Amino acid sequence: MTSPALTLAVPASSRRRRARMGQWQGLLYIAPAMALVIVFFVIPVLFTFWMSFHDWPLLGQPEWIGLGNYVRLLTDTRFLSSLRFTAYYTVITTIAIFVVAFPLAIFVEKQRRGVGFYRTVFFMPVVVGLATASLLWVWLANVDSGLIGPAIRMMGFAGKKVNLLATFDSAFWTIIVMVVWKVAGFTMIILLTGLQSIPVELNEAARIDGAGSWQRFRHLTLPLMRRTIALALILSVTGSVLAFDQFYIMTSGGPQNRMISVVYYIFNQSFVSFHLGYGSALSIALLGILIVLSVVQLRLLRVGDDK
Amino acid sequence: MLKRLLATASVATLCLVSNASAADTINMWVRTGIGAAFTGVVDAYNASHENQVALTEVPFAELVQKYATAIAGGQAPDALSLDLIYTPSFAAAGQLEDLTDWAHGLPYFDALAPSHVKLGTYEGKNYGLPLSVETSVFAWNKDLYTAAGLDPEKAPTSWDEIEANAEKIRALGDDTYGFYFSGGGCGGCMIFTFTPLVWAEGKDILSEDAQTATLDTPEMRAAIDKYRSMVAKDLVPESAATDNGTNFLSFTNGKIGQQSLGAFAIGTMINDFPDLHFGIAPIPGITSGSSSFAGGDNIVVTKGTPKLATVKEFIEYMYSPEAQKVFAQNGSLPTRSDIAADVLKGLDPRLQVAVDAIATAKTPYTVLFNDLINSSNGPWATFINAAIYGDDVDAAFADAQAEMQSIIDNAK
Repeated sequence: MTSPALTLAVPASSRRRRARMGQWQGLLYIAPAMALVIVFFVIPVLFTFWMSFHDWPLLGQPEWIGLGNYVRLLTDTRFLSSLRFTAYYTVITTIAIFVVAFPLAIFVEKQRRGVGFYRTVFFMPVVVGLATASLLWVWLANVDSGLIGPAIRMMGFAGKKVNLLATFDSAFWTIIVMVVWKVAGFTMIILLTGLQSIPVELNEAARIDGAGSWQRFRHLTLPLMRRTIALALILSVTGSVLAFDQFYIMTSGGPQNRMISVVYYIFNQSFVSFHLGYGSALSIALLGILIVLSVVQLRLLRVGDDK
Repeated sequence: MLKRLLATASVATLCLVSNASAADTINMWVRTGIGAAFTGVVDAYNASHENQVALTEVPFAELVQKYATAIAGGQAPDALSLDLIYTPSFAAAGQLEDLTDWAHGLPYFDALAPSHVKLGTYEGKNYGLPLSVETSVFAWNKDLYTAAGLDPEKAPTSWDEIEANAEKIRALGDDTYGFYFSGGGCGGCMIFTFTPLVWAEGKDILSEDAQTATLDTPEMRAAIDKYRSMVAKDLVPESAATDNGTNFLSFTNGKIGQQSLGAFAIGTMINDFPDLHFGIAPIPGITSGSSSFAGGDNIVVTKGTPKLATVKEFIEYMYSPEAQKVFAQNGSLPTRSDIAADVLKGLDPRLQVAVDAIATAKTPYTVLFNDLINSSNGPWATFINAAIYGDDVDAAFADAQAEMQSIIDNAK
C-alpha cells in the first residue's frame, strides 16, 4: 500500500526529471562506444560517399563529377570480372568451410577424452593473422623449398617440379585449403555454441520416440540452430566477399590477373592508379552488395520471425 | 635547491636540443633491389659527416603508391630515390622541391647524366637529379659453361645460341637450369631484360609519343616464341612462372647458366659472390644487333622539407669523386661524365660492358609507366605471363594491346 502512495507523493515534474536523468545516464554509458563507431565508421563511410562523387586523385585537387564514377563502374569490365571471381570464391569457400566446420563442431561437442585438446588444435589457426598465414602458405607452396610441391613429387605423383601457384586451378585450391584451415576453427566454435544451446532433453525425447540420428539432426538440431547458422553464414560470406590479403600476398592477383577480388580491384584503383574517387564509388557499391546479401541470408533463414 | 635542479635540467635540455639541430638526420627512402651501391655511399657519408642519413628500404613494386600516400598523409620522407621514369608525374603533381637554381650552380651540372636530368625536368624546372645509372646486360655462368663443354670465354651473340647453350647446361643435372627470368607478373624486371630483344630490331611496345600501343609486332612474337620454347623444353626453373621480382637475382645461386640482369647485379655479384665466375655481354636482339634498358634512379626532395640544406649537402657528397667511386664499385655507373674515366679506372672490366651498353640503350618515357608497365596487375606484366606461360598467345597479344590502349586513352 505504501509504495503507490509514495509514488503519488512525488511531484510529476520531479518524476520527469528523474526519467530524463536516466536517459542522460544511459547516453553517458554508451557514449564511448558511440564515439568509436562515429569516428571510425560513420564519418569514414560518409566521407567515402562524398568522395565517390569526385574525380579525386591521390595528389592534386578533387573535382566534382556527380554520378560519373557510378556510371563508369556499370560498364567497367575489369570490375565486373572481379565481381564474378569474388562470387565464385565466396560460394566455394563458404561451402568448404561449412563442410569442414560442421563435422568438427559435432565432433568436439560431445564430452570425450581429450576434447579440450581437439578444440584447441582446431581453433589454433584462427589466432594466426591472415597475412601471416598467407606468407606461411606461400612458403609451403614454394616450388623449390616448400613442403607441398616437393612432397607431391617425392610420392611420385608428378615427374617434374610442381609450382602450385603457377596455374589458376592449383593456386585457387591452394588458397581455398589455406582459408579453410585458417577459418574453419572459428566457424566451428560458433556452431558449437549453437549445438550446446540445444537442451539434451529434446534429443532424448526424440530418441525415445524412435527418431534415428539423421532424423534428429535434420528435424531437431538444424532448425534449432537456425540463428547460429545465420550468424556463421553471414560472417563467412562477408569475410569472403572482402577477401584481399591472400590474393595479394600469395599470387599478386595472378596468374594473369585471374584472382583479382573486388577489394583487390578497389585497392589497385585507389593506390596503384591513384583514382581515389573511383575507388570510393566501388567501395560504396560493394557496401550495397554486402547489405543486400546479408538481408537475403537473414530472410532465407527466417531469422527474426521466430516469435 | 629545487630551482637549481630545474635550471640545470633546462640547460641540459637546451644543450640536447641545440645538438639535435646541429646534426640533422634526413629520412630517405630507396627501393629494394637497388643493390649495395647507394647503401655503400650512405654508409660512407654517415661515417664521415655529422649529419646522418636514415635509409628505409621500400619494396620496389610499392614505392610509388607508398610515397604518394605518405605525401597525402603528411608523412613523406625528406628525400627519395625515385625510379627516374616517375619523376615527371610527381613533379607535375606539385609534390617535389624545385632544385633548379641550386642545381645549375653546381660546377659539374652539365656533366650529369643527361637522360636523368631530362626526365627530372618538368616545365623547365629541375625537380630530380641523377642518383644511379644502370643498364641491362646478359650474364653467363662460366663454371657451368665449362662443365657443359662450352667455351667459358665466348659470349653468345644470338638467342638461338643462348637456347642451344641452355639445353647443354640443363643436361648437367636435376637442379641446373639453362636460363632464368622473373615471369610471374614482374613488369619492371621484364621491361628491363626482355624488351631489348625487340628494341635491337628498332621496334617498341609504345609509339614514339607514347599514345599508341604497338605491342603486336613480328619481332615481339619471335621473342615470345623463343622464351616459350625455352620454358617448354624445361630449361627454365618452374619457380620463374611465379617470381614477381623477389628472386630476380636467382643467377647468384650458381645453378642458372644464363640470365639477363642489370649493372647493379654485377656489383652485387663481384662483392658478395666472389665464387661466382660470370661473363657479361650485351643482350642480343631477337634476330640481330643488341640493345639495353638505361634505367636508374633520380634523387628527389619532398616539397617543403625543413632539412633542405642537409639534403643538398648529401647530394653534393654523392657527386664527389670518392662517392662516385663507391657507386661504381657496386655496379652503379658514374653519374658525372667529367670524372667517369677516373672513377672507372682499375675497376672490374665487366662493368665496362654495362657502360658501353648506354650507346644502344633506350629509356621508355610515359607518365603512365606504373599503370602500363610496372604494376603487377598491369597489362605488360599480365601479358608476359600469359604469352609465355599461357595456352593462347594470340589472345594474350590481343588483350594486352587493347588494355594498354584503353589505359592510354582513359588518361587523356
